[in-house]
Amino acid sequence: MARAVDVRSVVVQGLSILVICAFIELGAGIILVGMTDYFTALLGLIVMVPPLLGLRGNINGALASRLGTGLNTGMIKPRLKLSQGIKINLASSLILSIIASAMIGVFSFVVNLITGAQIIGLIQLVSIAVLAGLMSGLILASLTVLVAIFAFKRGWDPDNLTAPFMATVGDFVTILCIYLAVFLVI
Amino acid sequence: MVVYSIKRIVLQSLPVLTAGIIIALAAGHLLNSSMVEISEIPLILMMIPLVNGLGGNLGSILGARLTSALHVGTLKPRLRGQWVLRGNIAATAIISFAIYSIMGMFLLAIFHITGISVAHSLSLALAFFIAGMALSVAIIFITIASAFVSFKGGLDPDNVVIPIVTAVGDVLGVTCLMLAIKIVGV
Repeated sequence: MARAVDVRSVVVQGLSILVICAFIELGAGIILVGMTDYFTALLGLIVMVPPLLGLRGNINGALASRLGTGLNTGMIKPRLKLSQGIKINLASSLILSIIASAMIGVFSFVVNLITGAQIIGLIQLVSIAVLAGLMSGLILASLTVLVAIFAFKRGWDPDNLTAPFMATVGDFVTILCIYLAVFLVI
Repeated sequence: MVVYSIKRIVLQSLPVLTAGIIIALAAGHLLNSSMVEISEIPLILMMIPLVNGLGGNLGSILGARLTSALHVGTLKPRLRGQWVLRGNIAATAIISFAIYSIMGMFLLAIFHITGISVAHSLSLALAFFIAGMALSVAIIFITIASAFVSFKGGLDPDNVVIPIVTAVGDVLGVTCLMLAIKIVGV
């Protein structure tokens, strides 16, 4: 039986994307290292980092895949104009960002309370989460629309390109926004 | 005609997002309880987006390929005699080995440049590599299991596999990294 999967081409394509992603993630890591003092002084703050990163990926991944489907089926026109379809998609992802970020703030407070790791207050946690979520949401949702439309116009399938690219860029932008939010709130 | 609705997008997304937040909070708590180690070696923070991001990307690539193969019918949701499955597992294993080795060497250089001794840099980079390989094995299993189970259960694996793999990958990534650091004894 013939080999059903071209392992070589999967490895070459997968590895080239991953190397680019790895260097962007390394940049995100360097910002995190720069925040070490905040994390040690404000014990409990770091609890929010993985959920905020995950949230970003999930909201923008879903936005990217809805845009990909919309573009592929012709429901969304590949023009940089705020059409009704794009407006609704952007608005939904921003509303989700705000609700879910506030939830992360509250849940993190509860986790800290239960585990007794509490130093940072509820209002501070929620305002850092919402501020970081809103800032990164605005930047990343607009970027997702731009990348999806650009990819579609170039003839690349936005389903393959937008999600992995946005997941990685999302980590970088989100950590930067958490840093800014902590700086503004504290 | 506008087929998108803000209310529908928000309501359908919230349950998945909430589940993702709760899983990711476990990773956050793990980080918070490791703050003693982290404040001693802040460079541990630099490896976290890298380990988690690469793990998520590996799972997403494998997940997207498996779900396409399931939809097209070249892959059946069982383990025996599956050439497509074997090829994909082999490709993912090769990519993981290559990317974690490349980034491990790169981290080694960064650690050494920032003034950490050779032996110390070497054990940190080794911990990164071990964590990455352990995470890849776990991610491959979770991706296959969630793709098969969701496909058999009549769900569209496209909607289920990637959110599960990235969320679980975040928790396991932090766990593997902290464990590997303890094993190597940095």
